[in-house]
Amino acid sequence: MPPSSPDRLTGMKPAYLKLLTGQGTRQGLWSLPLLIALAIALGLSLTAQQFTSADNLFNLITQAMPLIITAIGQMFVIVIGGLDLSVGSVISFTTAILALDGPAYLLIPAVFLLAAAIGAINGIVITRLNVHPIIATLSMQYVVLGITRILRPVSGGTVPDVVIASVSGSLLGIPLPVFWGIAVLLVAWKVLHGSRFGLHLFAIGGGIAAGMEKVPHNFGVAERRNILLAYVTCSCFAALAGIFLAGRIVSGDPNVGLLFELDAITAVAIGGTQLSGGVGALHGTVIGALVMALLANGMNLTNVSPFIQTTIKGLILLLVVGLQSRKRMGL
Amino acid sequence: MASLVEMSDISKTFGGSVALKGVSLELMPGTVHALMGENGAGKSTLMKILAGVHQPDEGEIRLKGETVAFARPKDAIAAGISTVFQELSLLPNLTIAENMFLGREPTGWLRTVDYRGMNQLARRALGELGLDLDPETLVSDLTIAERQFVEIAHGIKAEANVFILDEPTAALNAADVEMLNRQIRRLRDAGKAIVYISHRMEEIFAICDTVTVLKDGELIGTRTVAEVKPGQLIAMMVGRELKDLFPPRATAFGEIVVDISDFRIDSASKPFSLSLRKGEIIALAGLEGQGQQKLLRALIGQFHPVAGTVILGGTKIALPVSAASGIRQLQAARIGFVPEDRKDEGLFLGLPISHNITMALHAGQPQLAPAKPYRREIAETLTSLQVKSAGAEALVSSLSGGNQQKVLLGRYLAADMNVLLIEEPTRGVDVGAKSEIYKLLRRFAAKGGAVIVLSRETIELIGLCDRIYVMHANTLVGEMPAAEATEHRILDAALVA
Repeated sequence: MPPSSPDRLTGMKPAYLKLLTGQGTRQGLWSLPLLIALAIALGLSLTAQQFTSADNLFNLITQAMPLIITAIGQMFVIVIGGLDLSVGSVISFTTAILALDGPAYLLIPAVFLLAAAIGAINGIVITRLNVHPIIATLSMQYVVLGITRILRPVSGGTVPDVVIASVSGSLLGIPLPVFWGIAVLLVAWKVLHGSRFGLHLFAIGGGIAAGMEKVPHNFGVAERRNILLAYVTCSCFAALAGIFLAGRIVSGDPNVGLLFELDAITAVAIGGTQLSGGVGALHGTVIGALVMALLANGMNLTNVSPFIQTTIKGLILLLVVGLQSRKRMGL
Repeated sequence: MASLVEMSDISKTFGGSVALKGVSLELMPGTVHALMGENGAGKSTLMKILAGVHQPDEGEIRLKGETVAFARPKDAIAAGISTVFQELSLLPNLTIAENMFLGREPTGWLRTVDYRGMNQLARRALGELGLDLDPETLVSDLTIAERQFVEIAHGIKAEANVFILDEPTAALNAADVEMLNRQIRRLRDAGKAIVYISHRMEEIFAICDTVTVLKDGELIGTRTVAEVKPGQLIAMMVGRELKDLFPPRATAFGEIVVDISDFRIDSASKPFSLSLRKGEIIALAGLEGQGQQKLLRALIGQFHPVAGTVILGGTKIALPVSAASGIRQLQAARIGFVPEDRKDEGLFLGLPISHNITMALHAGQPQLAPAKPYRREIAETLTSLQVKSAGAEALVSSLSGGNQQKVLLGRYLAADMNVLLIEEPTRGVDVGAKSEIYKLLRRFAAKGGAVIVLSRETIELIGLCDRIYVMHANTLVGEMPAAEATEHRILDAALVA
């Protein structure tokens, strides 16, 4: 007789319940923020006529794109139980570099190389010097912010035309950022949910969350290298978000990325990713970022005070995270 | 016949304690090789060296005649050595298939994981073990027995040549064990070498060809299973003389201070009763992990038993004990709990000796009461314990293991407890300090205290205690006066039950 017992709780649940509760998967509770996003969208479409116009929807997506991209990057490090507070500075830094008045074919690769270097330093400090991720990346936030302010104390300069064109242009009536977004999502999905690298990140995070830190290593997962690569990935996504923002504001701005790291972490957490590591899904993060974008968009359309918007953001975060503790998820 | 694996003169020390001393082991293809020995004899360490988890200090490993060195577990896996460790090593947030193939996932286009292929391979591997589990189920959704089987399926990889099974049957019932044995025979017939670590004598005789016995990190001997009897094996595992480490036993006892009756650890185990009298030291003996620790931890609320009545010093306490207040409740009843792991659970390594000792004294005070310095109590405790230190303000982390253990005991002696529940009173402590700790405990009992001790070292229990309870499979299987106990009798009681 194979061992099987009747008191199995979660394995027997029907598929739709699994989907709704996030149990039986390691995707986290992304159905709840999806419902919230749909509820906000429904409410807005009833109260504000402009909301459902194609212009506004495309505008919403374009507006949300930097946050979505930063949050996806952030997710790579949150999945391993880490955190990257330096992404806001990396975004500002990226816009400052792009406004340096050089050829685009040099500036764009340079932006990614510099971001990768920042991520690599984060990763090395965390894995080799055993500094806590919050402290390591908080230090890096200050370091990079300082350099950015030296490069460009106030906003100014002009970014290469190709950057502006790829953000503000459109194809067949659809803004280009939509296509970029789809491409980024496909790549990120493949890396996080399809590759060995992504699986190993979940393994490392799951090991940390379950108090089995040594298990991934014992089965041949290159832990330090993967952690380092996660921080590099996170930084590079921030650089990409920086390019988007630079294309929108057309110049370099030392403050454009301010507090972006907190919005990114909020989006990831709303999307059902566990900050303790090992649980989460890319679509959850996208939904989380959309919830925040919808709030911002809706408040603008209905002329609600932006201060209330912040409070509502906080309440939604509290509600969603409160409903998805590890224990409730059966993990 | 040429051997598949030859480990020769392997030595390994951890910190100051010697785990293995010049142990050699030869594994032949097509055989099942049992590795036996008491707890702490070095079996698991030897196998972890073969699996690349630890590296030997001395000695060498030859694989098919070639010398190899495994710096990482990955190297051993690559060399065809496959291990099922005693501890569960499945990550709860991965599926069965992902766990089984972790670190060696089949990949497809652009190094993406070939999930379909992986799930198929996993389903087949599970099927070979007779398991009808969906490989895409998360491990967190499995029962403990299911996890154990997945663990085994995980370790049994088709392409490996050497299989290490470290107590694979600990969580399995008889039918499951038979299923496992079929798999082991199948592997043996395919010319693989299998190392089988188990405490269950009948399993050794059912499927093993050769048996090697270790004791205190040394090789006692290797025999053909067909030529030995269980009694001889037990004698090989035990065979050592009692040293003159122990103080004389008590002669008179007072009233009962701890009375446990109709106690059931889990729903599958039989109920049992035991009692502790004033002036007495009793032992919970038997093989490791047979419920001894669960019983003690149930009293402090860290484990929830199924049923039972516990009377402490005349007052009945409600089961299950609350995990949050269990220790405080016990301390109010003047019962101290000394945990097994002094570094993680017992001591504040970064605080001075004085703080560590007064911790239990302060615990008896109201929350906002000003903290007394307790200088006299500290000084008395340090003198009576003969702690070797730079003074009461020295950090506990600066002390040797033996002195740390004395400080831990000192905390409860200073707080004037009536009963001590002690897990592993002398873990990682040298012989001299052991002897002093035994004397301390005996003095405590002679002054009207009472002690329950559990230990992996049976010899310690026999020498130190007045009465020995033998536990097996989460229940009590025997009771004997320590004066009549031998390691042989205790093992016998545990294994024959």
